[in-house]
Amino acid sequence: MLRPSPSILRRLFHHRSTSVTREGIQFLLFTLAIGIAAINTGNNLFYLLLAMMLSLVLISGIVAEYCLRRLEFHRHLPDRLTVNEPTSVTLVVKNRKSQLPSFSLKIFDVGDGRELRQGLEVHQLLPGTSQLVSYPLIATRRGRLHLEGVCVGTEFPFGLFRKQTFYPIEDMMVVCPEIKPLDESVLRGLLTAGPEQSINRRGSGNDLYNLRLYQAGDDSRKIHWPTTARTSQLTVRETEAEDQRRAVVYVSTLAPPSHDVLFERAVSLAASLLHHLAHRGYMLQLLVGSSRSSFGHGEPHLLELFRMLAICERCSPPAGCIVPGELSGDPLEADEQTMIIVQSWRGLEDVVPEQPTILINGEVIAGAPHAV
Amino acid sequence: MPFDQALRFTSIWLAATSFIGLTLGAGLPEWLTVLTGAALIVALLRNAGRKSVERLAGSMPISTIGWNLLVMLGFLGFWVDMLWVSGDLLPAGIHFLMILMIIKLFTLKLRRDYVHLYAISLVAILASGSLTTELWYLPIFLLYLFAGVWTLLLFQLTKHSEGTQILTMPVVVPPQPSESVDQVTPQLFWLANGLALATFGLTVVIFFTIPRISAGFYQKGFGENIRTSGFSETVNLGEIGPIKRDPSVVMRVELPDGAPHEVGRFYVRGVAFDQYDGKTWTNRLNYRRNISEDAIGTFVLRRSRLPAPPALGETIRQNILLEPLDTPVLFAAPFAEQVSGTFPSLQSDLIGSVYLPFPSSSRIEYSVRSRSNPVLSTDLDSEPILYPESFIRHFLQIPAQSDRIATLAADVTHTQRTTYEKANAILSFLTHNFRYSLDAPLTGQDQPLEEFLFTRKTGYCEHYATAMVMMLRAIGVPARLVTGFLATEWNEYGNYYVVRQQDAHAWVEVHLPHSGWITMDPTPSSIESVGGGFPAWHALGRMMDTLRLQWGRFFVQYSAADQLTVVRELKAGSTSARNKALDSMSTLFSPLLAMLSGVTEYASKWTMRAWAEVLGLALLSLVVLLWLVIKQPWGQGIISKKTTHNEQFIVQLYGQMTTQLARKGISRRTTMPPLEFVRFTQERWSDAGSAVAFITALYCRARFGQIPPTREELSLAEGHLRNLTTLSKS
Repeated sequence: MLRPSPSILRRLFHHRSTSVTREGIQFLLFTLAIGIAAINTGNNLFYLLLAMMLSLVLISGIVAEYCLRRLEFHRHLPDRLTVNEPTSVTLVVKNRKSQLPSFSLKIFDVGDGRELRQGLEVHQLLPGTSQLVSYPLIATRRGRLHLEGVCVGTEFPFGLFRKQTFYPIEDMMVVCPEIKPLDESVLRGLLTAGPEQSINRRGSGNDLYNLRLYQAGDDSRKIHWPTTARTSQLTVRETEAEDQRRAVVYVSTLAPPSHDVLFERAVSLAASLLHHLAHRGYMLQLLVGSSRSSFGHGEPHLLELFRMLAICERCSPPAGCIVPGELSGDPLEADEQTMIIVQSWRGLEDVVPEQPTILINGEVIAGAPHAV
Repeated sequence: MPFDQALRFTSIWLAATSFIGLTLGAGLPEWLTVLTGAALIVALLRNAGRKSVERLAGSMPISTIGWNLLVMLGFLGFWVDMLWVSGDLLPAGIHFLMILMIIKLFTLKLRRDYVHLYAISLVAILASGSLTTELWYLPIFLLYLFAGVWTLLLFQLTKHSEGTQILTMPVVVPPQPSESVDQVTPQLFWLANGLALATFGLTVVIFFTIPRISAGFYQKGFGENIRTSGFSETVNLGEIGPIKRDPSVVMRVELPDGAPHEVGRFYVRGVAFDQYDGKTWTNRLNYRRNISEDAIGTFVLRRSRLPAPPALGETIRQNILLEPLDTPVLFAAPFAEQVSGTFPSLQSDLIGSVYLPFPSSSRIEYSVRSRSNPVLSTDLDSEPILYPESFIRHFLQIPAQSDRIATLAADVTHTQRTTYEKANAILSFLTHNFRYSLDAPLTGQDQPLEEFLFTRKTGYCEHYATAMVMMLRAIGVPARLVTGFLATEWNEYGNYYVVRQQDAHAWVEVHLPHSGWITMDPTPSSIESVGGGFPAWHALGRMMDTLRLQWGRFFVQYSAADQLTVVRELKAGSTSARNKALDSMSTLFSPLLAMLSGVTEYASKWTMRAWAEVLGLALLSLVVLLWLVIKQPWGQGIISKKTTHNEQFIVQLYGQMTTQLARKGISRRTTMPPLEFVRFTQERWSDAGSAVAFITALYCRARFGQIPPTREELSLAEGHLRNLTTLSKS
């Protein structure tokens, strides 16, 4: 026996759901009352009214089905998504029907098994046309955000029923940890014990290192014209070498389940530190648990580091472990770069502190809540 | 037209339709009809934007609490009405419903108010359906359905979600800015009407297929039975006269075998009488016995034990749709042999009248097979015979004071030899020597028959028939008086006779020795005309009556039995079912087909000039139709003059803006598109950028997207232009 193709069945019935609106409930109650009256009295004109109301119900279903059929969706996502930072997600909806328009569409982006917004409305979509709708997406936690598809519903034509269908369009996004302004104590720590203490030297970079008289062979683009004008002598600007500013940020992933919130804070703090240092022109390396990035600078490298932080997960310490000992492997050349360690757990004796611990070159920065 | 305005309009249309339905069905009190009608007109004028009406309505010093108090007062009035004024729940409820409708029409603001108005109108149309079965309900229902579909559609489209900020912009030509959805576009217009048509089609299908279950505790007929007279066991002479001015339809007799040979005179027999006491006819043979049922719903009448003629007459089959009458008599062409219908039982008396067990409270449909008695040749030359005593006692009875009549009968028939010749002589005498008139005040007379025959010589069917029976009996010929209807109004569109109260008639049945009872009618055929007027009106009236009949048959009377018949037909075979369906369809559309054939027949007699005129007219109509289809002026009409004005206004504003910019040194080249001009301006004068962009967007939308700006947008654009004038360019 031939069985119908599952794809046809899936296309017809898969992901379809219908719910009754408040007006629909009232309408159905009236229909029921008229039905009872018709049976009671045998009055054919009551049956006529009943037939009208039932046909309105049927037409509702048929028209809503046609409204939702043959739609096409495309999603445009931004490169970077950060926790608690609104980002605009754009959906393009196209009506691929040749004759019939679609009305009153309500579109929901579905991610991680739930609808992400209240719904975007497209009032009318003529045959063959597209419309672009966008909504602000605010991710509430870091990690991978799986966008499964688009749920589209309509109450057209009579507002009695809400029919919904699902169009699968898969997308995967990485939600970076939240970046917050660093607290003054952390900044002070960075200045006193950290990388800001390193001796500056001349080299290629952006920050001003020195002004000196022009010498033959100097790049004419480096002439500092305000000083030249003031002193009537050709003066050039020298920049501070940036290759010397290197920092390694290490985020310990070892923490018991009781330190879950603190771990998230630690990740967010690490992201904020990376953001701060990157904008100060540092070459950065990130160590998260056993993962290690290369040294680098620039926006793409920073994005890569944020992605590492986004997907890192807390590991419960093994039984008998007293202190976090995962920082092993290649010896860190502390003389050449600054080592910043962000810890959410400091061993068995650690009570749950309010903030993660920051160690810059082994020196603890006390009381370092980074959020202002 | 904006959605909001269209919604208000369709909501009022919905309410008005149900109000008209209720007014036609229930006969509302005049004050309530006028009040509701006025409220609907005021609501309509307010919606049309009449400022004077708006001001008037706005100045009404009634707050929300005041309206609520009015509702409570109306509810109190409902109880008073039910207990003391109308004395019944239904009329009091309907009056209260109308009061609620009036209040709602004046307080139509929130969406909740609209829902209340729809509920009221639905209950009103339901109440209307419970009060009538007339054909007018059909157009009212259709109007209600169309209004309902439009209203629900607009109600849904005006439903906005709360708290959702939407950013939409078009990306593909043609542009569809979000504002366009607030207008009833031609696409939406046709879609809504298409939906309404589809809903109607589906309604008809569901109506015919939905199982009819009669399990209720509140079943009743529709309205009161038609009062008629002349069909009880005792009838006073002249009793039929008053109802002969009543044009109410009492039955329709369809002849499945086609039109009769003699269109115009069709006798529908009711009851017969044997005894006359000088003033009153009585049926002494009124003992009723149940008629045996041959098959389910088929009753066969046995002929009486009296001399029975051989069955040589013509068989007449009839389908009769009998309105609810106040008599249990079942009418049929003489002489009924077989009756079929959904009756629990049937009865007949000894002189061939057929009765229901009790008068029907609703319209009934039944089929009859009758057979007329022709005059046999043997009766043309046979002498009178001797009849049994019981027969003489019933059909040769004469009241005591009839000597003059006997003498007259003898005089009229003294030259005739056979019974048939004698009967014909009397028939001829009455037909030619007396004048027919309904204005014959013979009822109060002591001897009305003598008064008719010897003094006034004016009367109507009862007098003629009674005179003939008495004269026949006086000369020894058995005869009896029969009352029924003489159908004269043949409906060629539906192939049936329309029988009205005014067709009530009395005639004579004469017994011939070999032929049995034969029908003879002494009333002259020059009966007063049913009505004057144009033949076209009569034709239209007949067409309407056919529609009324089909409405009654297919909608009002449609029952579980009909559904069973359809199922049986379908089981029996598709060919049979298809034929039946085709028959039903042709019956339904028969008035139109008949009219078409009439037109064709009429057209065949036209001259060349007439043909040329008609063809020219048809061509002109075609051109107009094509123009309408191409131009779609209704679409423009829907957008309305106001929006066209808005369109012109934004074009003017755009012109003023370019002039203003030119003064500031930013001139637009003719080859520069509007959007490029916006960028050009923004580069040179950034402060003016937003104003120029806004006005240009509205201009482009109106000019190229056929979407005129709203009033609010125009005022915003004006504001931007003012700002532009005051801004100084750096």
